[in-house]
Amino acid sequence: MPVVELDRISKSYDQKVAIKDLSLKIEAGTMFGLLGPNGAGKTSSIRMMIGITLPDSGTVNLFDRPFSRDQLSRVGYLPEERGLYKKMNVMDQLVLMGQLHGLKAETAQQRARAWCDRLQIMDAADKKTQELSKGMQQKIQFISTLLHDPGLIIMDEPFSGLDPVNASLLQDTLLDLKKQGKAILFSTHRMDQVEKLCDSICLVHRGEAVLAGTMREVKSGYERNRVLIHFEGGRDFLGHPAVESFKEYAGQAEIKLKPGANAQDLLKSAAERATIFRFELVEPSLEEIFIKTVGEKVDA
Amino acid sequence: MHSALLIAKREYLERVRSKAFLLTTILLPLVMGGIMAGSIFAASKGGGLKHLAIASNDAGLAAAVKAQVQKGDNPPESVMVVAPATEADRQELVKQVDARTLDGYLWLDLKPGKSVPQAIYASRTSADVFSVSRLQDAVSQALMRQQLAARGMAADQVDDLLRKVDVKTAQVKNGAIITSDASKSFIGAYVMIMMLYFVVVFYGMNVARSVIEEKTSRIFEVLLATARPESLLMGKLLGVGAAGLTQVGAWFLLLAVYSGSAIAARAGVNGFASFGITPLQLGFFAIYFLLGFFFYSAVAAGFGASVSSEQEVQQFSFFIVAPLLVGLIMMSYILSNPNSALSVGLSLFPPCTPIVMYLRLCSQTPPMWQLALSVVLMVAAIWVAIWIAARIYRVGILMYGKRATLPEMLRWLRYS
Repeated sequence: MPVVELDRISKSYDQKVAIKDLSLKIEAGTMFGLLGPNGAGKTSSIRMMIGITLPDSGTVNLFDRPFSRDQLSRVGYLPEERGLYKKMNVMDQLVLMGQLHGLKAETAQQRARAWCDRLQIMDAADKKTQELSKGMQQKIQFISTLLHDPGLIIMDEPFSGLDPVNASLLQDTLLDLKKQGKAILFSTHRMDQVEKLCDSICLVHRGEAVLAGTMREVKSGYERNRVLIHFEGGRDFLGHPAVESFKEYAGQAEIKLKPGANAQDLLKSAAERATIFRFELVEPSLEEIFIKTVGEKVDA
Repeated sequence: MHSALLIAKREYLERVRSKAFLLTTILLPLVMGGIMAGSIFAASKGGGLKHLAIASNDAGLAAAVKAQVQKGDNPPESVMVVAPATEADRQELVKQVDARTLDGYLWLDLKPGKSVPQAIYASRTSADVFSVSRLQDAVSQALMRQQLAARGMAADQVDDLLRKVDVKTAQVKNGAIITSDASKSFIGAYVMIMMLYFVVVFYGMNVARSVIEEKTSRIFEVLLATARPESLLMGKLLGVGAAGLTQVGAWFLLLAVYSGSAIAARAGVNGFASFGITPLQLGFFAIYFLLGFFFYSAVAAGFGASVSSEQEVQQFSFFIVAPLLVGLIMMSYILSNPNSALSVGLSLFPPCTPIVMYLRLCSQTPPMWQLALSVVLMVAAIWVAIWIAARIYRVGILMYGKRATLPEMLRWLRYS
């Protein structure tokens, strides 16, 4: 049962088309990456998922039912920029957010304390938001998104402004929530995070989905045409017919193969002439796929 | 409704707990009281004329004027008479004024055969209007006395004749004459109107500012993912309105404590009635305060959602409250012509209703149907204002960086 299902939604503002015929599905217990360059339409599509704006055409289903506002108590939304009351005490703020999502004040308070403890910001609970660092505020925002135990968690650039230690703390938390069966959507242009965390992705460019599917599906659409070799000895195997181009560094080389070339032939030829420490047929990184896809679209 | 109440509670507590709220609640009545006391004190001090000289070629006239000057409230400490005065005396007086031993001198030159002298008052300041009018009165009274005495009237008869007549006011209400005090009901209306104006403007702008704060900090985006814009807006208006009412309530409490106190009793004040404020007026004050507040706050909220910075709100705030100013500017006209077509028309025009209808109420109780109609019209206007504001709120708040043009705003009204 998909937790979110967008079916050919479109949205225009004045003359500008923000989203065109976008479809996607997010299953429970998976993490979904919504990718795209700045201004591609990521935030616009998220806003339609949670009813801040309505699509001009197409349908939005949440938890297997057409969108209605009462489902919002099962959704947690973290916007791209901090949305906190600056002058409000952190605990009061968390309790308010919990209450707005339908929790009782006491329940909200208990859960808020537990989360603050887990994310190591117990000291901040009684301070005003404006006294906190950017990273701390991001953690508070993160907690306010999760307090009501939502089945769908939507996060727009959740790790921006965090140092590596805190970013990995939040990543682990998200992976934990995924194990508990939550559907998690996060929108970013940081490909390395998506590659590590997401099960499926959708790449949006100029309001349209240009690439979508599970990580494996997406990558399998691209050939493994890159070879990384660590070696010692003769280097004339770099002139092998399978090699289209290469970059050579001290004791290693990065080779791009010709289309359809057999990497095993190259390995044999290299092994005859040099000692091989490492030979790896590298799959394309999401970043390369992203640049390639978006770049092609720009050219077109 | 649940979320509206949660938001209302937050807005209310944030305001009521702030230091600024405590300060204005306590300081404003003190400052207002201080200004009133100060102006009463200044008025009683009679313009600071302490040492005066009267110089004339006619000794009788000079003495009569001196007697008259010393008669009023708060007379000068010393009045010197120089008569008959010469040009050399005038030089001497000028020197004394320069040296500050004299505040000023009055030069009276009675030409032979004339009954009215030429009078010049010379002092260091040219704008001492209060002293001048006082001297003018004294000279005219002295002349009158002299003339009457010359015609053979006895001194006590002259006194009787020149006594001031005090005109008392009365009000015709429902066919019966009741005593009223014009100055009291004017002051009562004035204090209430200023309070209404201040609170509506202050809290209306407060709403606009808090909308902008939510817009710039993007809190609104989080809130919109939990509740409808109409509930959020209602919550905000309720919370801020309750804070305003708390403040006004505190002021009334202070006024009630003061008017019931022994100090006030000594000043002739006993309860609200002493200010010319009736229970009916108090009730309608609350009603029009709430209606006015909700109307102007909804307008201000819609406005706040369509601009991107606080400066812009400040630039335009005048235009938002301009209809309230119309009522203030026309205050004395409305108080004296409460039933003219213009007054009635303005009092039924929702943006002007709170102040104009309240003014009419202070002057004479308007027909019941007009009161009822004004309330109905205002409620309708508030509903429309909130509906429009919620639309602009929802769309405007998601647009950043530029102010919306009017055609854009009209398009936003159609967006869902």
